[in-house]
Amino acid sequence: MKFFSRLYRGDIHWDFVGNRRRWFTASAVLLLTSVLALSIRGLNLGVDFVGGTLVELPNPEGISVSEVRDALADIGFEGARVQTTGGGEGIRVQTEELDADQEALVVEAVAAVTGADPDDASAQSVGPTFGSQIAASALRALIVFLVVVAGFISIRLEWKMAMAGLAALGHDLVLTAGIYALVGFEVTPATIIAILTILGYSLYDTVVVFDKVVENVEERGDRHTASAIVNMSMNQVFMRSVNTSLTSLLPIGSLLFVGSFLLGAATLREFALALFIGVATGTYSSIFLAAPLLALWKEREEHWQRVRRRMQRKGTEDEFAARILDVVPEAEQEGLPAVLTGAAPRPPKKRRRRR
Amino acid sequence: MRRRAAWTTLATTLVVAWGLLIGTQLAGVTPKLGLDLQGGFSVLLEAPEGTDRDVLDTAVEIIRSRIEALGGVQEPEISLAGERNIEVQLPGVTDQERARKAVGTTGQLTFRPVYSVSIYGVSPLYLEAAAYQQAEVEAETADDLGETTTTEETTTTEAPTTTTLEPEPIDLTTVLPEEIPLCDLAEPLEGQPGCVDPETGFTLSDDPEKDAWYLDPEPNSLGQLEAFHLGPALLLGTDLSDAQAGFYTRGGSGGLGVSSTGTGEWAVFLYFSGEGSNKFESATKELSYFAVGDSRRRFAIVLDGEVVTAPSISSEIPAGEGISGGSAVITVGSADKPQQEADDLAVVLRYGSLPVALEEQSVLSVSATLGSDSLRAGLIAGAGGLALVALAMILYYRALGVVNVLGLTVFGSIVLSVYALLGETQGVSLTLAGVAGVIVSIGITSDSYIVYFERIKEDIHRGRSVRLAIDHAFKRSFRTIITADTVSFFGAVLLYILAIGSVKGFALALGIATVTDVVVFYSFTRPAVALVARSRFGEGGPLSIKGASGISLETAQ
Repeated sequence: MKFFSRLYRGDIHWDFVGNRRRWFTASAVLLLTSVLALSIRGLNLGVDFVGGTLVELPNPEGISVSEVRDALADIGFEGARVQTTGGGEGIRVQTEELDADQEALVVEAVAAVTGADPDDASAQSVGPTFGSQIAASALRALIVFLVVVAGFISIRLEWKMAMAGLAALGHDLVLTAGIYALVGFEVTPATIIAILTILGYSLYDTVVVFDKVVENVEERGDRHTASAIVNMSMNQVFMRSVNTSLTSLLPIGSLLFVGSFLLGAATLREFALALFIGVATGTYSSIFLAAPLLALWKEREEHWQRVRRRMQRKGTEDEFAARILDVVPEAEQEGLPAVLTGAAPRPPKKRRRRR
Repeated sequence: MRRRAAWTTLATTLVVAWGLLIGTQLAGVTPKLGLDLQGGFSVLLEAPEGTDRDVLDTAVEIIRSRIEALGGVQEPEISLAGERNIEVQLPGVTDQERARKAVGTTGQLTFRPVYSVSIYGVSPLYLEAAAYQQAEVEAETADDLGETTTTEETTTTEAPTTTTLEPEPIDLTTVLPEEIPLCDLAEPLEGQPGCVDPETGFTLSDDPEKDAWYLDPEPNSLGQLEAFHLGPALLLGTDLSDAQAGFYTRGGSGGLGVSSTGTGEWAVFLYFSGEGSNKFESATKELSYFAVGDSRRRFAIVLDGEVVTAPSISSEIPAGEGISGGSAVITVGSADKPQQEADDLAVVLRYGSLPVALEEQSVLSVSATLGSDSLRAGLIAGAGGLALVALAMILYYRALGVVNVLGLTVFGSIVLSVYALLGETQGVSLTLAGVAGVIVSIGITSDSYIVYFERIKEDIHRGRSVRLAIDHAFKRSFRTIITADTVSFFGAVLLYILAIGSVKGFALALGIATVTDVVVFYSFTRPAVALVARSRFGEGGPLSIKGASGISLETAQ
């Protein structure tokens, strides 16, 4: 309980930068798994990407998939993929691309089995090149977005932050795609939307975190090393990140739940699934990847090298002291809260009052 | 923030936000639902690469006119999407086939003279070639027979037998005019204007300047499937200025006319442009020399390689006198539904040719029940998400959590009203993807509260008084939120511009939500928190701001 109440008060002192190897290793393993899954299993592309016809009908009597499949085989559609949707309340048939007449045939055949009204059928026919077009337009949006946002972050914050943010973003994208490949979830336009949202979300999160770093550098840039400042900032925004993820995941979870159990909400589910994964990885990566990356990078800058040398000369132990980064073996740090290594950030001695 | 200023801002915000919602509701302005939420039909069409923007705009206009002419479609939405896509959305449309036809039919409209007609659905060209080949064979046979009688060579007698038993494939080139090629089916047809299918003898690629062989897919009144040999185009669709369906009474409108039967019937009234009326007059003059009943007295209106109709010049028009005056009437005769027939024909004539060939990329039809199910699911998910977030925020931030919950209602009111107003003025509709976008933005909106509240807590930990803390924290967190929201907003705008289909609806929702978030944060959250800080929920008790920061409980100062 002690832990949680400290967490609640934001009174935490964890060494995010010092433990970077752990996070980097974890991410590397996950990324490797994702890439392997993508290259071996590939993505399960939906009808929008491979072309074909999708027919959806209510299934009021709960007719089994195999009965529908038999009925379709009788009229010559052997290869049709039949699934139930909305917790068994609907039947979904996927075939190759059909024209309006063939589509009517399929609808009638399925309606005859399930007892549904053919007027309640919904259908979607997609040509084989449509998906590549959606993907191309999404890709173009993605590239323009990344360039614009990287530019904006560079101007508003710093270009190194933009790069670290993009690295975290790439990590989130690969991971999400990897999970889709691994589990075999269907990729639909809703997934694409969700992934584009993840982009926005992941960068948004990174910006919030880095904004804190910038603020701390302004306030006490001469008195602490870059790693210490990043660490301090992470500790300050950690609760914000946890809470934000929670409040973001709650409505997404609600979408996921409703989408899985109610008819007519398949899109919501597809959408929520990718978001759920993306938001989770987005929060993780901005704290555990983007921030340590930034710290490492900034340590190389001349200003921070000078600060570090000065601190060593004076013999003052920095908060989240440098020795944690350099001297103490990895094993000793494991699980050791930074407080115990004398690494708690103190409030600044002189508070500058801002008007 | 001073107390009075806080009260004023807060009250204004609440009145505006809630007033907007109530106002729009009372005025009957509700968000317009996308067709995935109310059922309907949508097609995404694609133009060939490198199509001009202007050409696409024209195509959009033509499709819009055709859809409106179909009648019964409420608020059709035809828009350009991406670089060369046209998105057609027809909410509430059930007659898919008619709609699909109205949307997708392209090609050039031509008026061509009829040279000959075959009534068995076989191309006259094919029949001619067959007849020619037959004649050749017979001539050969005749020659052979002649030779046989004189020289009595036994081998020659076999020749005619083989040709009659195993007829050679008909070679169309024997009768084909020189300028018309046979189609090479392996090559794109656009590069072979006027070419003829080597198997069937029908023209596959329309060239208005060359002869053509076309089929009328609808049987005529005698049940015959007519196939035509047509001359080069006399007029193009552009020579027509208007076409209207109407009821035609003989003699009533001055005896102009092309007719098939009877008096008083549904007809299409044609109106030609200046140049067109001259062309039409001279063309009909030529045709009128042929005797009544001769198929050469007819002309065919061709669209997309299909004969739409092939009326005959009325018997009332004397030989050598064309139809003048720039207008004409085509009666539709005894069709099953003469009125609909006349309507459809008028529409085709009026908006006959799209300037570019469009290909169906994706066709989507959503039943009304699925639409309302989706809407219900979206609402349930939204309500659930909202309740969960509210609960979490109140548990965590106590008095400030209540500010957040109130803020969410302000946020919701504004977003709903904006959608309602956009739907009313711009025809923007709320789609399922949009609903998802709004639900997701509940979480993202809450983030600005969290950033602010965490800041307040931190400042209180640093020893600031609650009042000082909220002001200082506001400045810092507003900066953060502006930066972060700018990133989100960029994303939304870019997505909206560059993406197609459902992605657009989502981007719109995200954009609206992001802007609303900043507005609500500045004009609601700030004064509300300021007032809470001044009330007894500022510093006293576990429910207060100070209480929520965890200080007063353990290390009260």
